[in-house]
Amino acid sequence: MPETLDAALTDEAVLATYRRMFAALARDSGAVVDDPALVDIAETLFDAFAEAGEEWLTHEQMRHACRTHPTDQFENRLRVLRGLGAIREVFPKPNQLRYRASFTSVVGLMFIRRMMDDGGQSEMHRLLALEDLNVADPSTTMEEARQSAGNLARAFRLWALELITLTNGTIEELREQAPKLWGTEEIARRAQSLHGTILRRWPGLDRTCTELRAAIYAYSDASRRAAGRLADSAGTTRNLTLLPAETWRTFAQTASKERLAAVLDGFVFDAPAPWHDPAAIATAVDEAPRPAPVRPAPPRSPLPDTGPVDYADGGVAGLDRLTAVAESALGGRAAVALAEVLTGDWASMRRVLADLASADLRPELPYRLCWSDALSADPGGHPSWRSDGTLERVTTDG
Amino acid sequence: MAEIPGTQNPGTQNPGIETPGTENPNTKNPGAEVDPGGAAALEHARARAHGPLALRLAEPAPPGFVRLSGGDATPVAGEGAAGPGAASTRTPVVALPVWPDGVTPSVLDEYGLAPVPVERSGETRRVLAACLRACWTDLAAEPWPGAPASISDVLACYRALTGRGDDMTRSWAVGALRRLADTGWIIRSGDVVRLGPRCATWPPESHAVLRELVRRLPGPQPADGPATLSLEESGSGDPAPSDLAPSETATSGPVLSDTASSVTASSVAAPSVTGPSDHRPVSAGRDETSPDFDGLLSPYDERRRAELVAALMAVEHAAEPVHEARFAALRDPALRRTLAEMLARRGRTLIQRRDTWISGYDDAVAARLIGASRRTAGARPGLTEGERAVLTLVLVHSVAIPRADGLLSEDTWLSPYPVAVEELRRRTLLPIGELESALRTLRQVGLLTQVKAVSEEAPGGYVPGPQFHRLTAAARRRLQEELILAAGPQTPLATAIRSRRA
Repeated sequence: MPETLDAALTDEAVLATYRRMFAALARDSGAVVDDPALVDIAETLFDAFAEAGEEWLTHEQMRHACRTHPTDQFENRLRVLRGLGAIREVFPKPNQLRYRASFTSVVGLMFIRRMMDDGGQSEMHRLLALEDLNVADPSTTMEEARQSAGNLARAFRLWALELITLTNGTIEELREQAPKLWGTEEIARRAQSLHGTILRRWPGLDRTCTELRAAIYAYSDASRRAAGRLADSAGTTRNLTLLPAETWRTFAQTASKERLAAVLDGFVFDAPAPWHDPAAIATAVDEAPRPAPVRPAPPRSPLPDTGPVDYADGGVAGLDRLTAVAESALGGRAAVALAEVLTGDWASMRRVLADLASADLRPELPYRLCWSDALSADPGGHPSWRSDGTLERVTTDG
Repeated sequence: MAEIPGTQNPGTQNPGIETPGTENPNTKNPGAEVDPGGAAALEHARARAHGPLALRLAEPAPPGFVRLSGGDATPVAGEGAAGPGAASTRTPVVALPVWPDGVTPSVLDEYGLAPVPVERSGETRRVLAACLRACWTDLAAEPWPGAPASISDVLACYRALTGRGDDMTRSWAVGALRRLADTGWIIRSGDVVRLGPRCATWPPESHAVLRELVRRLPGPQPADGPATLSLEESGSGDPAPSDLAPSETATSGPVLSDTASSVTASSVAAPSVTGPSDHRPVSAGRDETSPDFDGLLSPYDERRRAELVAALMAVEHAAEPVHEARFAALRDPALRRTLAEMLARRGRTLIQRRDTWISGYDDAVAARLIGASRRTAGARPGLTEGERAVLTLVLVHSVAIPRADGLLSEDTWLSPYPVAVEELRRRTLLPIGELESALRTLRQVGLLTQVKAVSEEAPGGYVPGPQFHRLTAAARRRLQEELILAAGPQTPLATAIRSRRA
């Protein structure tokens, strides 16, 4: 379901075009889809078929390709497409599981999408080009030419009538619809050249040609009138909408400097005239970024610096102290549990532990701390938990 | 050459100078306040569109102008004795519009309104201060016209002011000098700088501020001075004045005999700068013509009068349209009518957009201005061809394409969709060399606004600038039509436009 009014309007415009396009083929007035998403299903399916190759697709594969659409919508669509022959069994026999798609339907869908974009203008261009080739073909008969001219006359006449009705309608509708309907001078020129070709070759067709000419003129006139009404009523920038973005891009990319500049030829703009108030000048001077002042060197000690001391010399006394701490903890034994050594308040425990850990890390001292995996907790005690471990003297004879 | 107002003699006039008076000024009734021919209005519009008016020596300025003579009339050696054509780069007399009742655009500050932003304002103003320091040699007199100074002195003052002498600071200062020269605050010819005509519009009561400022600014320091600062842009083959040693120039000639020669003991007095006689011609003067609004303003009491003047300054100088709630003269229809008449005398008109107002060129006056400049031989004033082409491209990318895509809903020429410089550089037929300088000029004028990149999805670029607020509805419609005619000349829309104009 469309969520906004705008979306609903867009959907309705799309559906209206669908209905108009297939009115000639429909059996009853409800025969055209009532949700634009249904066309998307068909398009998704054709895409999937194009990907699939010679194996074509099974029902499950088709369902998978359309997995974003609800099952009942998909089944409904598949039934219609099969019923109309757009999708058929690969071989016409019972219990056939594989399906293929019809080339004609795909081309038809492409056509639909293009009609949606420009209301059939490019089709008219192609049609005119083809008709031009046809009437120039030596094998074309006069009857064929008459038919072709008659068809074109009818198309142009209807086209013009629709434009005239729009021109007399609301400006909003005109703005929305007119760009799809009105033709360029190119279309009128092409039609007139076709008309000239027919008339030269079959002077007997002058009556048909007069009708064609009248239809072309009516159409050109209706185009101009619709454009004129829009130009009169369209505010000061809204008409820019009436050229497609691609036209604007092409213009920006291919126009010469002179052509671009000519657009603004007749406009007067202000010369730069900034005001520099005396107070603002004074402020600007006061706020001038000053260069960073030269940074004074940090103060140095007046005593001579002897440079870095030799680390090993200072370390000996430290090793002696660590040995003393470890030996006093061991008390002559080869090993002692840490729980025994770490007593007293936290500060002294911490100091002793730090010294023992240092002794442990010194490879030249024969003391090691061995930690067990156990952890004894004593919520009321001090400290409240401790890892069990022992301090050992390592025999160095090995 | 006969100075007959009302005759058009573009061939005999100097092509570079706008020739006022070609539109049949009010000769029948010169004293009248009303301006039936609209000549003064046209001249005001011309001054707004093309900068200070250049007048001939005996030519009076229209009402509402200040006429400045001699500010830059110092003849240049080698040119002074030459024929009439020699003044092609010098205009002896210029005229600038003055504001009623002595207000200046600073009045916008009192109302908290933003003026059109000044590019690199701090730097530009500091360089202007340096120019003042170098050129305002006699502090007892008014700053304008001052004395000419060499660019090296100005740069030395600037360096002393900021305490930085690196190359980047210097090139910024040179850029600021260019902007000041473009906008009439200084006049620069070759290596010589003078104070420009706009310096004459500082109200006298503000001179004290400037005097105080110049007194405390350090002077140029000659130690590492002029010799290192020869300027690459020295024009027209003048010998560089910086060749002269300070000791030489301090004693050279009678040039600075009357004004503070001690202040400018450096290269100010280069022989190429000053003439053989006095450095300030006898004719140097500043006279204001009859105020053009008095007849309109006199019926009002002081408060109303101030409101009208404030509203005039607001709509003429604010960057964006101003809300009518802020100004009684915009709110009250009777006062607004008077305001519109004031504007009309200057070739301007009020433009409304909902509850906001701004001023723009009156359509008829703009058409006459265009017509007059088309008839003038030689280079057209205003934007160059390259600048107009770049502006058109920005309008296409920033307004036309988003509108064709249905992204814009407001009926305006302003747009939130910037066009990347890369797009202009890569996918147009514009010569790349012109692009950068055109963008700079258009930015400075307020025809383009630069948008900084915020993220990957919102890259920066250019959008139409605040000047597009100032287009009348007719001008906006015409702009739309011109774009359609240029981009889709074969469309029925273009045919309709052409047939309607025919």
